[in-house]
Amino acid sequence: MGIPTTPVVTKAFKELATLNAAKRGMPHERITFTPHPVWGKTADELRAYVEGPDPVSGKPMMKEIVDALTQPLTDDEKKSGMVSVSTGPATYGPDTPKNLQQYYLDNGMTDYLPIIIPTEEAVEEMLTGTSHKPDEAIGKMAAGAYPPWSYTVRQVAVNAVMAGARPEYFPIILAIASSGMASLFSSTNSFAFAMIINGPIRDKLNMNYGIGALGPFAQPNATIGRAWTIMSKNLGNGGIPGDTYLGSLGNNLNYNNVVIAEAEGDSPWPPFHVQRGFKAEENVVSLFRGLGVVPGQVARGSSANENVQFDYQLSDLFSTFTGFFGALIIADPLVAKRLKEQGYDTKQQLIDWLYKNTTQTVKDYKSRNYAYLFDYPRALQGVEPYASWYKMPDDAVIPHFPRPESINIVVTGGQTNAYPQAGNLSYGVSISIDKWM
Amino acid sequence: MLKINRRKLLSLLGMSPAILAGVPADAQKPKAPQAKSSGGYKLVGVNPRGAPPAIQLIPMAPRLDTLEGKTVYLVDTGFHGSDALLKQIELWFNRNMPGVTMVFRRKAGPYAEDDPKLWAEIKAKGNAAIMAVGH
Repeated sequence: MGIPTTPVVTKAFKELATLNAAKRGMPHERITFTPHPVWGKTADELRAYVEGPDPVSGKPMMKEIVDALTQPLTDDEKKSGMVSVSTGPATYGPDTPKNLQQYYLDNGMTDYLPIIIPTEEAVEEMLTGTSHKPDEAIGKMAAGAYPPWSYTVRQVAVNAVMAGARPEYFPIILAIASSGMASLFSSTNSFAFAMIINGPIRDKLNMNYGIGALGPFAQPNATIGRAWTIMSKNLGNGGIPGDTYLGSLGNNLNYNNVVIAEAEGDSPWPPFHVQRGFKAEENVVSLFRGLGVVPGQVARGSSANENVQFDYQLSDLFSTFTGFFGALIIADPLVAKRLKEQGYDTKQQLIDWLYKNTTQTVKDYKSRNYAYLFDYPRALQGVEPYASWYKMPDDAVIPHFPRPESINIVVTGGQTNAYPQAGNLSYGVSISIDKWM
Repeated sequence: MLKINRRKLLSLLGMSPAILAGVPADAQKPKAPQAKSSGGYKLVGVNPRGAPPAIQLIPMAPRLDTLEGKTVYLVDTGFHGSDALLKQIELWFNRNMPGVTMVFRRKAGPYAEDDPKLWAEIKAKGNAAIMAVGH
């Protein structure tokens, strides 16, 4: 801004604040720390914070603030210029496989499961999976609000090897990498990520979209998803606890994400990528992010009876979802077929019904964390529908999701039972896989 | 709570602690693995990391001689409790440094979004700013 400024940050984010300031060019930013948390504290408790010490420096907090704004700058604080950042040598070793395995692990380059050592030979073999040049720059990735890192086809290949992928999977991994979307995000919210894979490549790679479609039962499903997380660490600098990852609980789905190969042949509806404007014969990966996935068995109305109504079940599942992320319905083909029998000839008809019939009161809406954090600021800016929603009386009834497009549907599974799952996941982008072959 | 080793964190970032001193960061690189056993075959592994951007150091704005008679903006980022904490900071100034004029503003948009309009206002009408809170 060009005038003295000091941020106040809670102690829990000391490393994040310090390192982020350094990465953004102000390594000596004068940050004042306060005890953690601030949220939910009374006025008296916050007064005690303000009148007490900075828990990092031990100095009185308000003296820190006043000094931050008035003490003359040091020479270091006045510095300008560029600072290069190294990521180390191009190769490691030679060393034994065991030692190298440990080295990659100790340096935060893995998901803490054993990897395939990315030797030059293995990387060269991976590169045979694409016609693109190894040195082609394909994207940038950031694990949140950080300066993004850039990378080449070859660097993606290194990570694909580590994840255990085969060269024929590589175009999908490149497509994901080209999106710039990391599967590890800096937020405290412990986000989850998902992908839908459509097109003939599902069968070419023997992807699993039958029994256990979302489970650890097929190499492409397992390793393509794992590659996304390993890439997010190494190409996007994500997943460093306390710095580029702050998820309080973490998320088990981050190990290999939710990989969904759509059961296109068993679905009564057009596949997801066709909905997005691609041709059926095209190979496409679509990416999602959000909070996680819940099973349909917990929904009201999910007990066995003669008139199972999955639309009502799904609507019930959505009641705990944040509208910010929307919903991704993951329907077993049995569920999808039943929904079609109920009269939903298209996915859109079901989406429209769910949008219209999944509602909440304004009071309940306003009480939600995400509404306060993300919707309310937009309401203040006049962004709809939030501006109108925040003007309504507490007992007014509004849709649970801001728009029908917040809801998406994909069909997969082995038809051993008619169970849906639903992710509080929002659609991000669809990318051609063919482009990366 | 997970204990963070600053040196290790910087190393993972590919950054040298020297960055904190504002000097080039070539010195600190991940250590090459040291062979712990001599048996068996050996491999060379490739570095899987992408390329971080160079860091443009930004000189901090000159500080004020005093806050007395000055206008200090209190900027609420929108995190839960930020407004309440800033209110206590404002009250502290009222009690202890009444010569400082405090102006409270909530930053527009969700917490991660920029608000250039507010920054322009602060630069035009204020002398300093306090932003809260990183949670």
